[in-house]
Amino acid sequence: MAGVGQFDIDLFVRILPDLAFGAFVTLELTSLSILFGLIIGTIAGLARVSKNPVFFGVSTLYVEIIRGTPLLVQILIIYFGLPAIGINLRPEPAGIIALSICSGAYIAEIVRAGIESIPTGQMEAARSLGMSYLQAMRYVIFPQAFRNILPALGNEFIALLKDSSLLSVISIVELTRVGRQIVNTTFNAWTPFLGVALFYLMMTIPLSRLVDYSQKRLGTYEVK
Amino acid sequence: MSYLLEVINLKKSFGENEVLKDVNMKVKKGEVVVIIGPSGSGKSTLLRCINRLEEPTDGKILLDGVDITDKSIDINKVRQRIGMVFQQFNLFPHLTALQNVMLAPLKIKKMNKREAEETAIKLLNKVGLGDQINKYPAQLSGGQQQRVAIARALAMNPEVMLFDEVTSALDPELVKEVLDVMKQLAKDGMTMLVVTHEMGFAREVGDRLIFMDEGVIVEEGIPEEIFRNPKNPRTQKFLSVIL
Repeated sequence: MAGVGQFDIDLFVRILPDLAFGAFVTLELTSLSILFGLIIGTIAGLARVSKNPVFFGVSTLYVEIIRGTPLLVQILIIYFGLPAIGINLRPEPAGIIALSICSGAYIAEIVRAGIESIPTGQMEAARSLGMSYLQAMRYVIFPQAFRNILPALGNEFIALLKDSSLLSVISIVELTRVGRQIVNTTFNAWTPFLGVALFYLMMTIPLSRLVDYSQKRLGTYEVK
Repeated sequence: MSYLLEVINLKKSFGENEVLKDVNMKVKKGEVVVIIGPSGSGKSTLLRCINRLEEPTDGKILLDGVDITDKSIDINKVRQRIGMVFQQFNLFPHLTALQNVMLAPLKIKKMNKREAEETAIKLLNKVGLGDQINKYPAQLSGGQQQRVAIARALAMNPEVMLFDEVTSALDPELVKEVLDVMKQLAKDGMTMLVVTHEMGFAREVGDRLIFMDEGVIVEEGIPEEIFRNPKNPRTQKFLSVIL
């Protein structure tokens, strides 16, 4: 048996299924949250470039509040705070809501930057053909903006995946929580937490490779 | 005789800067009106007001007798009747030449795909690009891109076409191919408003020449006569510099 402070291979092998399960939960929570975050972020991003003062004001306030407060505090408010006004959520929905709202704000800014990266002549050309503002967005601006922001969205996904570890504080059994539970029962902190880190890396490294690849791949419109 | 397009007391200001000061203009169906003038004279702004890419500050614009500056009008419907070609082409870079031309008929007119494709190919042939239909804008020369842009505008079957300095961004040797397409359009009877610095085109194709300076129409008439015998000193000065 390996002593304290040394990597315990036997233990590591034994906890692999638990870590894999935790990683799966992490991936599931993150994927759902990024999906909702994309929907929220697209709408909020559109509102951020809107000339309508109400849309612009509300979306700006949303982005400022979310970006100006720690995700951990947002999670605590949604899970422990909301019951005070009669809204009781189970941990998983509360966690997904918190992550979605948070990533939505960051994605809104990515979407805004993406839209603003497209020359105004594109919108004018689309409108001059008779497209409505939303048609021009959908068929002309978004397809181009999306290519430009894909790497940023990938990075946001990676950031959110790591931030989802904060959900362990509201007793969601995701990867980090699984690690802590194992530490509590085995009194070995070194091996389980290294295992946890390893599983995060196994998810984030392929993702960042994918981001790099897409960045190179989508650099140009010239398809020879 | 009724006019296809009437501009009445049109004014446009950008903040303190009054770019158009009471412009009046009438255009008959099939007429080719060429607008010249020094930069900053308001000629591009005039074109952009006509399809309301710029909102006029005051005045009326009648298309077939209907005031299109009216707030209750569906501007998207109006714009479908007014084609526009830009100095910087503004082709959609994520779409091929064919897709550029097909997009508006497909999405706005809800034309079926085969019909939209047939129309687009016909138009691309017309502008001499039948063999380039699957290229992306970045793979085409400036002159070719501008011709795709003309085809794209024509695809909505507009009643009038606006050309905003469409050859100004082109290398000299590519200007002719674009002007030739425009000449053919004029011959086919298209109503055209052309802002340009191409005096040869104005002389050869224009039914009427308008000289603008500092937000007003200074002089207008038959191109040949204005070139030979400009009456207003400002027109004289401009032409003496440019010819």
